[in-house]
Amino acid sequence: MKDAAHKDPTAPARANLRHLVVPLGVGGAALIILIIGWMANPAFLTKENLLQIVRSAALIGIAALGTTFITIAGHYFSLAVGQTAMVCAICFAGTLSAGWGVVPALLVTLLLALVLGLVQGYLVGIGANSIILTLGAGVVIYGMAALVTDNKVVRTGTDIAEWIGRARPLGIPTQTYALIIFTVLAHIVLTRTRLGRLILLVGANEPAARATGLSVRKATMAAFAIASVAAGTCGIFLAAQIGQGRVDQFPTLNIEVIAAVLVAGTAIQGGEGSALRTTMGTIFIALLNNLLLLSGQPYGIRIFVMGFCVVLGVSLFHVLRQRTL
Amino acid sequence: MKSLPRLDIQITSRIVLVLALFVLFSALESSFATEANIYTVLEGFAFTGLVALAIGITIIAGEMDLSVGSMAAVAGVIAVSFAGWGLTCAVLLAVLVTATLGALQGVAIGLLRIPSIVFTVGTMIGLRGLVYILSGEETVVVPDLKMVEVIRHPVSVFSLFSLITIGIFILMGLVLSYSRPGRNVYAIGGGRMAATAAGVPVFRTIVLIFTVSGILAGLAGSLVCLKSGSAIPRGLEGLLLLAAASALIGGTSLSGGRGTVLGIALGVMTIRFVSSYIHFKAMSYYAENLAIGALLILVVAIDLLVATPSRTAHE
Repeated sequence: MKDAAHKDPTAPARANLRHLVVPLGVGGAALIILIIGWMANPAFLTKENLLQIVRSAALIGIAALGTTFITIAGHYFSLAVGQTAMVCAICFAGTLSAGWGVVPALLVTLLLALVLGLVQGYLVGIGANSIILTLGAGVVIYGMAALVTDNKVVRTGTDIAEWIGRARPLGIPTQTYALIIFTVLAHIVLTRTRLGRLILLVGANEPAARATGLSVRKATMAAFAIASVAAGTCGIFLAAQIGQGRVDQFPTLNIEVIAAVLVAGTAIQGGEGSALRTTMGTIFIALLNNLLLLSGQPYGIRIFVMGFCVVLGVSLFHVLRQRTL
Repeated sequence: MKSLPRLDIQITSRIVLVLALFVLFSALESSFATEANIYTVLEGFAFTGLVALAIGITIIAGEMDLSVGSMAAVAGVIAVSFAGWGLTCAVLLAVLVTATLGALQGVAIGLLRIPSIVFTVGTMIGLRGLVYILSGEETVVVPDLKMVEVIRHPVSVFSLFSLITIGIFILMGLVLSYSRPGRNVYAIGGGRMAATAAGVPVFRTIVLIFTVSGILAGLAGSLVCLKSGSAIPRGLEGLLLLAAASALIGGTSLSGGRGTVLGIALGVMTIRFVSSYIHFKAMSYYAENLAIGALLILVVAIDLLVATPSRTAHE
């Protein structure tokens, strides 16, 4: 937590090497998994399985893209992503089952996510530790949702919601389109807008950003709001896909999202990172998970491997980054 | 080092808080202040306290060990699996494993100079996987429930478990305040660069705190699982929240360099009293978590309002 010593967003030319190494590394690893999977198990490289992988990757990916903004803003990650997705799934399912139209239900759910994100962002913006705050926020969100729903399943009960979750326009699941749209949007926001640059600069060097009169609080609130709305979107898709919302629905979403963001080399000290990397990290994790699942590995091995990848990924990229700076 | 009068105010306010909660809950609930309930509270203190101390020490050193919950779970499964070898053997073996894991983690963090939050979130995930692997995804149980009775057998309001914990709190308090390694922990938490310049062995201290964190979390996990006679793969998941909340309520500062063992003990008592009262009201476990989460956010917010001037000076 201490050594946020020197990070320079306008990194020198040598950094270009790093920008090349990171995608090549993660892309290469994904390719190796594809090849191993193809050799080890004929069921792996079928169209149906790949679409299955992309669909599950898409859900995690959308939430991970949002979390990337928190990481870039210099606040590591959030431990409330899974709970935000869960409460939004319940809100979406609840409003639909109460007879609301899809559009108002969507708007209210996303508004809820936005408010949750803004509150957390405000507190972190005035100096709260993001890990501790989101740890608390996650538990509070979970507890509220459990109290409100009395721990019961909330069904969506409409066909339109089912379309969002299960339809396959042109043979490709809706979630995949959403992931592509989100990746492009996040990429544009990060590279082409004032807000994106503000978040990058604040993450790279907060004291400098503060000294030049940039609003650190605004950047932090925006990052948490984006992350929260993305998590909410992920929750909506999940609720639509299985037709219900429940408090225990996504127990491992938090760690999968954290793994997807961290494994792909978004700078853990902030100030650097890209949407494309996070998407690649997500696909890598999804491929790995699916391969282990298909080869009959138990849950423990899958989680262990995921943790190992995170440790390896963050260590490698950290060393790489220090060498090139 | 912080000036003493200020520390005293902090500790005094925590003591007053704990006493006030005790008086309030005793008044509201007639069976709160009974021997049986104090025993239960102290059992909870033993369990939460060791882990709060584990994460608390890393926070004082300006780091944060998010893996404490998974670490405790690893120790729990090992201790219960090897309970047949005798309790002492099982606990020693489990603690040896977590101490080694903690030391390795410390070496990696110290060598790579990587923020410990991102490293330990990886080990938090990985070690949870290890718990499932070691337990074969099943609940493991001790061969004979009678043999673990000694851990929780009540002597007045105490048990072996809570006495061990209280002993460790006293020991850690003395070590942190009066020994050189203990002072080094405060030094590297207060300012890493200044500590390096002053010749404090930063690497060695980091390895030390993560080893101690592994030992304490391992001890808590093995004793609590042995006590209950079983370890479940997804067990002890809420431990990180309890531990972090206790340490922070006890006045451990997230900017590092500040916090005391006495403060952490008071933080744990605060949490245990609140938790015990909620139990009396027969509310569900998520209501309990909700209350602790809300308390944690409240403390963070108060800490911000009180500490804002010194915080900017710190950066």
